[in-house]
Amino acid sequence: MIRYILQRLAGMIVVMFLVVTIVFVIVRVTPGDPAAVMLGPDATLQDVADLRARLGLDQPIILQYVFYIGQLLRGDLGQSIFLNMPVGSALLERAEPTFFLTIFSLAIASVIALPVGIYAAYRRGSFVDQVATTVAMLAASIPSFWLGLILMQFFAVRFNLFPVSGYGGPGSSLMDRLYHLVLPAIALGLVSSALILRFTRASMLDVLGDDYVRTARAKGLAERHVVLRHALKNALIPILTVLGLTAAVLISGAVVTETVFGLPGVGNLVVSAVLRRDYPVIQGALLVIAAIYVFINFAIDMLYLVVDPRVRY
Amino acid sequence: MKLKLAFLLATALIAAPHLSVAQEKGGVINVATIGEPPTLDPMVSTADLVGIVTQHIFETLYTFDKGWKVTPLLADSLPQISADGKTYTIKLRTGIKFHDGSDMTSDDVVASLNRWLKLASRGKQVAGFIDKIEAADPATVTISLKQPYAPLVSLLAFNNSAAIIIPSEKQDEPMKEFIGTGPYMLKERKADQYIQLARFTGYKPRSEESSGYGGARHQYLDEIRFVPVPDPNTRVEAAVSGQYDYVDSLPVESFDKVKASTASQPVLLKPFGFPVFVFNTAEGVTKNVAIRKAIRQALSMEDMMAAAFGSKDFYALDGNIYPSNFIWSTDAGVEGAYNVADPEAAATSAKAAGYKGEPIRILTSRQYEFHYKMAQVAAEYLKLAGFTVDLQVVDWATLTQRRTDKGLWDIYISHSPFLPEPALIGSLSTSSPGWWDTPARKASVDAFTSEVDPDKRVALWANVQKAMYDDVPLMKIGDFNAVAAKSTKLEGVDPAPWPYFWNASIKK
Repeated sequence: MIRYILQRLAGMIVVMFLVVTIVFVIVRVTPGDPAAVMLGPDATLQDVADLRARLGLDQPIILQYVFYIGQLLRGDLGQSIFLNMPVGSALLERAEPTFFLTIFSLAIASVIALPVGIYAAYRRGSFVDQVATTVAMLAASIPSFWLGLILMQFFAVRFNLFPVSGYGGPGSSLMDRLYHLVLPAIALGLVSSALILRFTRASMLDVLGDDYVRTARAKGLAERHVVLRHALKNALIPILTVLGLTAAVLISGAVVTETVFGLPGVGNLVVSAVLRRDYPVIQGALLVIAAIYVFINFAIDMLYLVVDPRVRY
Repeated sequence: MKLKLAFLLATALIAAPHLSVAQEKGGVINVATIGEPPTLDPMVSTADLVGIVTQHIFETLYTFDKGWKVTPLLADSLPQISADGKTYTIKLRTGIKFHDGSDMTSDDVVASLNRWLKLASRGKQVAGFIDKIEAADPATVTISLKQPYAPLVSLLAFNNSAAIIIPSEKQDEPMKEFIGTGPYMLKERKADQYIQLARFTGYKPRSEESSGYGGARHQYLDEIRFVPVPDPNTRVEAAVSGQYDYVDSLPVESFDKVKASTASQPVLLKPFGFPVFVFNTAEGVTKNVAIRKAIRQALSMEDMMAAAFGSKDFYALDGNIYPSNFIWSTDAGVEGAYNVADPEAAATSAKAAGYKGEPIRILTSRQYEFHYKMAQVAAEYLKLAGFTVDLQVVDWATLTQRRTDKGLWDIYISHSPFLPEPALIGSLSTSSPGWWDTPARKASVDAFTSEVDPDKRVALWANVQKAMYDDVPLMKIGDFNAVAAKSTKLEGVDPAPWPYFWNASIKK
């Protein structure tokens, strides 16, 4: 077990090194120049060259890479070219809206998808099952930004119940900031619920036909007990996997939704950084996002141990 | 008695309108912008968004009035220019305070102008003409030139790549403290969330009446908050819902929707600027001026503007580089060279010019959707004229980099607001991508920039425009209008290419 964990940790370090290197190279070979973006449309070539030199971008790429790796080993993600702050601070600042958006979206998705998915599997072929699977397919096909715009149109513009965009002004309370997340969380939650619902249904269908379920029923256990205690527990592994991956996607930034609702989250930061070619932010953000993915995958594998005693590493 | 009553009535009538337009002090406004400015140092960027935000924090020696004439701001008056046009004596206003409480003196102005010459694109444009900048006394600065350079005062007045005045001991690069003399001071910046400006209580407004960017800058509002809302559809919805007091840069097709709302009304800036196709005159197929002329001959500016802006409410066909409301407006060189839309004749011209089917590489971006729409129309007309078209659609950052490489493109698409001084137009410089460098350019531009007499300069600008039509370094496509939205409660905001919110107030 400990050997397995150590192996996984070593693998994670290799993955992170590869991510750092690949991102560094891709960012540098992609056309576009942060100096040209910062200086604006009327800057001359000499201005751009001067600023590139001041930013150290005129150095050979291998030197820039060595410098960057050295910086990372000292725990420094670098300094944003545009934001006038360290990349680590910029990421921390953006973590709050993204974190709460993830929690709310997952909560909405789970509250809808888990009970409906379980019931649809239990009543396979029924009217409820057919409606649930059709709606889930529809929801999975809807882009979250489109749903976001529709929600915005009704609840923010027509009924003025929620703000259209933003994350609260200076001095806004946590409640005020969370209030700005309601519409984007519903948009993301509804779309995410489709995938979770389909996995839940499929996973439950797999186990509901198993012998131990039949045995449980033969023992005269209540249906509720059979479904929720016996079947669901064994169906949880794929459900946990999809929940974990959905969380990873959301934490790494619901890019389009954050942009549509003007939320200053991680996704928005990455999009802005890519458009501006803010190299240190792109590199730092992708490194952190990759770390989150790797960690969540690791955590899911560890959770398997908890939910399924047969799993041994 | 009757006379007394008549007098009272007349007094009341005179006073009444004045009272009704009196603006109330206090309040906070939220302004939705197209994004986060790349920097808050207006010297180092020519981006419009940087100018829009920072013009509230920093001030220049001069600015522009509503007729686009240069008017003093931190300077006491317009400069005294020596007879040979080489010495500018600038008297400064006294009692001006920076946001850190220190007094502005000529030492601050000299240090700031030197920083501007070193860092700013427009400052570097001037630097070659400058002999020295000196403080004659605490309230006087002299600028000595090596040769006359007429656009100097306009360049000192412009709000991006701006010659802002900051304390002499706070001249860091990159700027660490954002200390200016403007009516509002930076309180807090949360990137991609808001930029919060608060009223500067030590501000000393000019005594003249407000006029454009000039005259008195009143501080009715307590705070101005700039909030980035990058998605254009969201900006439209935000305007309709009334969440923001001012929403910048809306798609023109949203005009009627905003007009129908109860919370906001559209603001139309007519005209705002012009889309432009810039030619690579240094390398490749468009190095040949005859081919550039054939391309221009093929194109329908009317169809391009219609595709890009829809209704004629939002665009006008105009070949003059400046529209009629500018003193620079002239039709020199335009006749027979604008909106020709004759692909057949263009095909003949191209053949005569030696065109052999090389691809015309048009570099455009969807960052500005109207650029892309114009590119599509242009591509079809050029194909009709027998040109091979390679339409390269890239993001804006890629475009701004690629256009600096002479080997990568033939035409790139951009746009510009109408700049108050023609010398500010980037394409007039030989180092600007496009690299227009001909004897006709040099003769006309040099004569224009060295003439200090304003009337003669107007005539000389006509020669520059004629050279632009003869050499075809670029094609102006037309005039277009800009749409913004303001809350029905917001007063004192005039349509402007770089909207400003001193003088604005909230109706309670």
